[in-house]
Amino acid sequence: MDNTIKIDHLSHLYDDGSNNPVYALKDVTLTIKDNSYVSIIGHTGSGKSTLVQHINALLKPTTGELSVGDFKIEPKTSNKNLKKFRQHVGMVFQFPEKQLFEETVIKDIMFGPLNYGKSESVAEQLALEAMDLVGLDSKLAEKSPFDLSGGQKRRVAMAGVLAMQPEILILDEPTAGLDPKSHREIMDLIYRMHIDRQMTIILVTHQMDDVVQYSDQVVVMDHGEVVKVGNSTEIFNDPQWLIQHQLALPSNAEFAYRLSQAGYQVPGNLDNIWQLAKAIIEVGEVDHE
Amino acid sequence: MIMSNFIFGRYLPGNSWIHKMSPQAKLLISFFFVLVIFLANNLISYAMLIVLILATIVLSGISISFFIKGIRPLLWLIIFTVLLQILFSSGGTPIFKWGIFSITDQSLINGGYIFIRFLLIIMMSTVLMLTTSPLALADGIQTLLKPLKRLHFPVDTLALMLSIALRFVPTLMDETQTIMNAQRARGVDFGSGSIKHRIKVAVPLLIPLFTGAITHAENLSTAMEARGFTDSEHRSKYRIYKWQKRDTISFLVYILVAVLVILVRK
Repeated sequence: MDNTIKIDHLSHLYDDGSNNPVYALKDVTLTIKDNSYVSIIGHTGSGKSTLVQHINALLKPTTGELSVGDFKIEPKTSNKNLKKFRQHVGMVFQFPEKQLFEETVIKDIMFGPLNYGKSESVAEQLALEAMDLVGLDSKLAEKSPFDLSGGQKRRVAMAGVLAMQPEILILDEPTAGLDPKSHREIMDLIYRMHIDRQMTIILVTHQMDDVVQYSDQVVVMDHGEVVKVGNSTEIFNDPQWLIQHQLALPSNAEFAYRLSQAGYQVPGNLDNIWQLAKAIIEVGEVDHE
Repeated sequence: MIMSNFIFGRYLPGNSWIHKMSPQAKLLISFFFVLVIFLANNLISYAMLIVLILATIVLSGISISFFIKGIRPLLWLIIFTVLLQILFSSGGTPIFKWGIFSITDQSLINGGYIFIRFLLIIMMSTVLMLTTSPLALADGIQTLLKPLKRLHFPVDTLALMLSIALRFVPTLMDETQTIMNAQRARGVDFGSGSIKHRIKVAVPLLIPLFTGAITHAENLSTAMEARGFTDSEHRSKYRIYKWQKRDTISFLVYILVAVLVILVRK
């Protein structure tokens, strides 16, 4: 099934009844191709989380529409049809370990599949597979999720989403608060899901190095609007613009930017450290001649 | 969103006459008003109280739609009470009778009065909640309870507990929303289905909420002790709410209306 996400002139109004309703999203138009890895960046409060909650039908647009494959959500879409929609779109929230509630790890992971009508035995099979995927020892299955460490809880919560076998996976800062090793493992896991299972990945993050390393497409948001879309080279080649939008630079670009401020222009595509190293050597050679 | 229906703990900052009143005065006037409501027993007395509360709302500068929203969560309670009153109260001329149910002209009138009483009390407490920040409210309660100190009642500790509880209302509401979203993403259907289903889906919401609350409490007590908190007397305050002239004026207006109500009641 084709899972292209089309967002068409979508706006979302947070109306708390007071006299100043706030537009969390303003006229967002965006296409996310099937089987792509998209990063959404922007400073706190720019509307990233609101946008991804629309993709999972947790919020409905105030105006405009959004479609994922054949499913379409408009302001008047009835709540009854949303559950089916959500089955295809997995969502890992910020600090997802907060959602754990069952007595045992395995029961908690089985919760999602059971809700979507899988039988007990199938759900258990899916849960065990998901535990293996996120790197949890099967010995932990009968433990209480509340007895685990922070990093392990995070993996249980992620397994709970992966066990539903979503075709689109949304992750809202999945590695916030984790140690560097867990961070790397989780980012690797997400990339494997993308490559091995052809999942569309939508990553909300502040980690620009991850953005450069993994994503095919980068969406920059500011004040509820999409201000720039492109691949990471296109997004990160203008340090001034990024600073203006309160965004950090990836380490490579930061390094090149500092060099340029010291009078050494390092040109070209700096997606990884090898390209940066090569570019610096070339600059050095020119200097010598 | 579901949570935005609750009016409790939703302070709306402002600069109106009501906002500037001291919290202890607002609390006293609210209690007084509730007492006066139970004195009213005919159309004119209720009409006067309605005018008074409307004047208060206008003076608070908060849009009326907020007050209507505040009633919505309590609507079923109100309807239930009014129906009980109409169906089971005795006296008056019967209009309709069926088994143990009877509707009389008197019971209809009583039902109407109960409805107005509910409305008035909700309106008043909504004004109080919307114009007073939770911390100011706790402070007001502390001031009003001060006389109990002589009986060795731990007024300060109680006020601290109260202000912490109030402070965490919005936090816990946000958390509820987040957890609901997370469980909805895992296929839970909140707010539909049979009663049995609804009780069942409360579990994945309540357990994370409770564990979260306990974590908050633990962190908060650690942070308080790290900053040298002891439950001692003579704690000084950052903001001091003094009884002002506008408090006296407001109170006098309410007393005046109360006297009028007593004069016109049957």
